Amino acid sequence: MARAVDVPAPSLRQRPWVRLAAPLLLVVLLAVLPLVLPESTNETLARIGVFAVAVLGLNVVMGYTGQVSLGQIFFLGLGAYITGYGVQQDWNIVLVFLLACLGAAAAGLLVALAAARLGGLAIAMVTIALPIVGVPLAKRLSDYTGGSQGLSARFADAPEATGLYDDQWQLYVVLVIGGIVFLLTRSLVRGKFGRAFAIVKGNEAVAASMGISPYRYKVLAFTIASLIGGVSGFLYMFVIQYTSPETMSFGHSIELLAAMVIGGAGSIVGSLLGGAWYVLVPELTNQVDSSLTALLQGVVLLAVLFVLPGGLASLVRRLGRGRRRLRAEPGPGASPTTPLSTAGSATATEETGTEKRGHA
Amino acid sequence: MGTFVQLVVDGLSAGSVYAAIALAIVLVHSATGLINFAQGGMAVLSVYIAWWLTTRGVPLIVALLVSIVFSIAFGALVERYLMRRFERGDPDTAVVVTIGLLTLITGVAGWLWTYNNQQFPSLFSLDTVSFLGVSVSQRSLGTTAVIIVVMAALQGLFLGTKLGLALRAVANNPESAAFSGLPVGRLLMVGWGLAAALGAVAGALVAPQLTLTPGMLDNALVYALAAVILGGLTSPVGVVVAAWLIGVLENLAAVYVPFIGYDLKVAVPFILIFVVLLVRPQGLFGRKTVVRV
Repeated sequence: MARAVDVPAPSLRQRPWVRLAAPLLLVVLLAVLPLVLPESTNETLARIGVFAVAVLGLNVVMGYTGQVSLGQIFFLGLGAYITGYGVQQDWNIVLVFLLACLGAAAAGLLVALAAARLGGLAIAMVTIALPIVGVPLAKRLSDYTGGSQGLSARFADAPEATGLYDDQWQLYVVLVIGGIVFLLTRSLVRGKFGRAFAIVKGNEAVAASMGISPYRYKVLAFTIASLIGGVSGFLYMFVIQYTSPETMSFGHSIELLAAMVIGGAGSIVGSLLGGAWYVLVPELTNQVDSSLTALLQGVVLLAVLFVLPGGLASLVRRLGRGRRRLRAEPGPGASPTTPLSTAGSATATEETGTEKRGHA
Repeated sequence: MGTFVQLVVDGLSAGSVYAAIALAIVLVHSATGLINFAQGGMAVLSVYIAWWLTTRGVPLIVALLVSIVFSIAFGALVERYLMRRFERGDPDTAVVVTIGLLTLITGVAGWLWTYNNQQFPSLFSLDTVSFLGVSVSQRSLGTTAVIIVVMAALQGLFLGTKLGLALRAVANNPESAAFSGLPVGRLLMVGWGLAAALGAVAGALVAPQLTLTPGMLDNALVYALAAVILGGLTSPVGVVVAAWLIGVLENLAAVYVPFIGYDLKVAVPFILIFVVLLVRPQGLFGRKTVVRV
């Protein structure tokens, strides 16, 4: 990061004790919060967690590897159905969890093996079929899925020994499983595979010339995305305890993609923001007029693409940087309120550029 | 035998609608190198305009013509003020823009005209005609005929007129076209307008059957994309043949393959795609493209 060098004193984030204490503080905060928050807030937070994981999965294939996928919701639905069926059959819950992950990953692998053979936008064109085929398929396999009635499964009651209320227990489970998925994904995209994904996203021909097979890494990214989708499906069943074919409808698939872009493509924080967007915005618009939800989603999605290509996550990052710069050199040149329209996109591209260089 | 012929004719009619939308997608792709996921949504918007006019007492044929003119203008405006910024950039971002446009159009239609199904009057009667002892519906024949005529007219435009030549030049090489004095930006707007009009015709023909909702053409878009994959993005003829193939096969599969039935027939093109991808990754008629670094 070239800019960090300009700052005379080491910024707050770079001091060693902050680097150690901040995650610790976060963990303590997350451990305490469910105990003190009201029930409805806990439930909303748990749902945000579920969809943040789903958006994270989409981010792996789309934000980091650059392959537009319109089918992520299908893997959430598949994971939810596998979980619901397993719980109804009284299978061991760990086994159910593994089956939900692996089932979704296997389906994703199968789709990716065919779709990634076509270059360019074919993955988008093929994955759009997943929710559209998924809904009638779920209705048809009514012996397993309960048809249009859907499938409900209650297995999220808090164990007696913990002394927790159900909503607190649910939020803890979502925090632990979701937290692990987020940490693992963070290491994945920052490591060797993440660099390979970035090159495949940047230029497939260059990737191939460096011995990185775009085909294989696209399939890998898509499979990991489906696996994470399966995890989010398990959590979905855990929190919402009910799924129906409507869960994986085409509209929800598009909303999930919008949430990812609005939250911030190729960003871990952006996935969290995307999950929050996915859950909170329909709740807010429903209070005004439920038919406005799609309209608002479309307007905001287009607005983000025009003025804020990095999504809300880049806004957070830019605000932080602006304040730091202001403190370092309070001159006229370092105004943090740069107009978003022209300078904004320039910084965004520059930013991704430096990030890539930092990784390589 | 009678059922079989009826199924094939109905399949060709459905396939013609997919073909029109698929052709619109190919038209936009050849001009600007991106896939317009809002092609179906734009068509739905123009069908809504026609429907709204008919409820105000305007004759159907006039309403349709007005809606087609509206589509041309709307397509051109979308190209100029929405897509142009993203055209030479990352194609994945441009695709997300079209998805945003689809969401926006669906939202506007749902907000203005609710998400309830609306009845759209048909251009053709529902009666059947007997032909060599087999009865086929007039609507299927009419839909297929109209779309074939529209395609022939487009082909004539592209091959026989100066405007068509200019459009082909821009699609082929925008930079050289600009150097030879063609107004590239305006021609791209014309291309998008033509594509939108093609979608509008398809939407108006299929609306009586599907009943009008903001998501009416979502399934048709999926079929059209399947036809584009099967036919190859570079081959308009291949796309039309693939769309007809899909229309006929899914209709036959719905009746003759018990597991598929009417509800799962949307899976048919994708089973077909999986098979084709394993054998011919460039599509049935497409060419392999080579990218220079």
